[in-house]
Amino acid sequence: MFASLSRRRVILLVVLTCLLLITLDKRGNPVIDRARGVFATLIMRPVDTATNTVVLPLERAWDGITNYDDLKKERDALYDQVQHMRGNDVKAQTAILEAQELLRVTELSDALGYTAVVAQVVGDSPSNFQNTVEINVGTARGVKVGMPVTDGAGLIGKITKVFPDHSIVLLATDPSYAIAAQILATPEEVAAETEVSTPSGIFVPDSTTTSSTTTLPFDLPDPAISTTTTSSTLPPVTTTTILQIIRETGALEGQGIGRPLVLRFTDSSSAVTSVRVGSIVDTAGGNSSLAPHGIPIGIVTRVVTETGSSNAVVEVTLNARLERLNFVAVLLFEPNQNAVGR
Amino acid sequence: MPRVLFGPALRLLPIGLLALSLQRLVFAVHPVHDVKLQFVLALVVAAGAAGGPDRGAVAGFVLGLLYDLNGTTPLGLVALAYGFGGMTAGYVRTLVSEPQWWIASFFAAVGAAVGELSVPFLGQMIGDDGWITSRLLVEIPIVAGAAALLCPALMPIARWMVGVKRKKWKVMVE
Repeated sequence: MFASLSRRRVILLVVLTCLLLITLDKRGNPVIDRARGVFATLIMRPVDTATNTVVLPLERAWDGITNYDDLKKERDALYDQVQHMRGNDVKAQTAILEAQELLRVTELSDALGYTAVVAQVVGDSPSNFQNTVEINVGTARGVKVGMPVTDGAGLIGKITKVFPDHSIVLLATDPSYAIAAQILATPEEVAAETEVSTPSGIFVPDSTTTSSTTTLPFDLPDPAISTTTTSSTLPPVTTTTILQIIRETGALEGQGIGRPLVLRFTDSSSAVTSVRVGSIVDTAGGNSSLAPHGIPIGIVTRVVTETGSSNAVVEVTLNARLERLNFVAVLLFEPNQNAVGR
Repeated sequence: MPRVLFGPALRLLPIGLLALSLQRLVFAVHPVHDVKLQFVLALVVAAGAAGGPDRGAVAGFVLGLLYDLNGTTPLGLVALAYGFGGMTAGYVRTLVSEPQWWIASFFAAVGAAVGELSVPFLGQMIGDDGWITSRLLVEIPIVAGAAALLCPALMPIARWMVGVKRKKWKVMVE
């Protein structure tokens, strides 16, 4: 190859060629730029592809052999990271659900118009014979014995013991729990009552028209006035029906865990016919009541007529799910001290 | 002339391309102590150690030129630097006609050090500043050491690449 040239001449030729090329390139030569482009795309790329085909499997195999421990550690670390992220995801979802629950609890207390202290259930009763829960607010937040406790769905019980930073809530299902309650006839029932002839002496209808929405369950539309608009080929006709709310009051008592509450009417001559399954039950209020008027409690699920008596035992199922309590609201309603003692 | 063009020159190009490809795909992505081993330079110095200073210089020029074409360095810069490296390694042939592997490796290491060191210095000379740093103190020994280790393995390929055959000593038998 280099037989015709002496060693020094070859080296000199190399050096001079390099210097020439450097000079041309530094001054900006389009031919060199084009040569670079052609070299990169037409020559190096296919060579790289071919080399990669051979080298890549070998490289991976080598990596697998030499970096096995590192890969395992990395995999473990990533697994931990994924678990951590899953945990965070669950936390975030829990936070959203808790916020929604909290909002529901506060919505009810706001609708009732009383100041409420939101609390979280932190403990359950250790005994099988006490239906209580422990909440994380106490006297420091203004909580007192006898105050009613609600969740988003309705009344759940009352405060029976209070400490500076926690309290015990006696749940409504406890046999020692009792509260004045009233049954509100649903609009359908009222409509039925207005159509059916009422036997005299069976019940005393309260013919007063409700004037305040506080006497109604929080999630029901105002049944006092309903407006119906009919649209058809005929000119639209708007009819307005004024509904009456019929009340039956009595004492609502717990019967134990998992059993419905029982409502015993104050007036023994109360009519059975006026109480129907599905009627709404809320607190009756009054001077001697533990709770203010209008807190939703539940619905009538069964009406039992006692043999040989005109009295009816009405079973009421709570709106609240006592086995799933989390956030609750203590209404800062101070009941009559005589009622508290009962 | 055709012998020059179609002989070793034709071998230099494919081997050089393959070496450059390996440099880009393997050695560039697996640095040792953050230093990229220079496979092309190792091949150049092996060619020098196998064929002498002139062949080393030509191998350095051709392979360095491929390097320049592929990279962003001024065309001819790495060619010149690698030419110096190949030439330096080739001086082993002026001392020993058939060097032992460890002597060849030693000269390959020196040649690689010269070749690698020439790049920043030549860059500095043509106005590309910032290449001469204290990091060279780490880079040069590693690149030179790698070239020394690779040299025995690359010598047969380099020998074929620059068209050198091993001398066969014939024993005179009476």
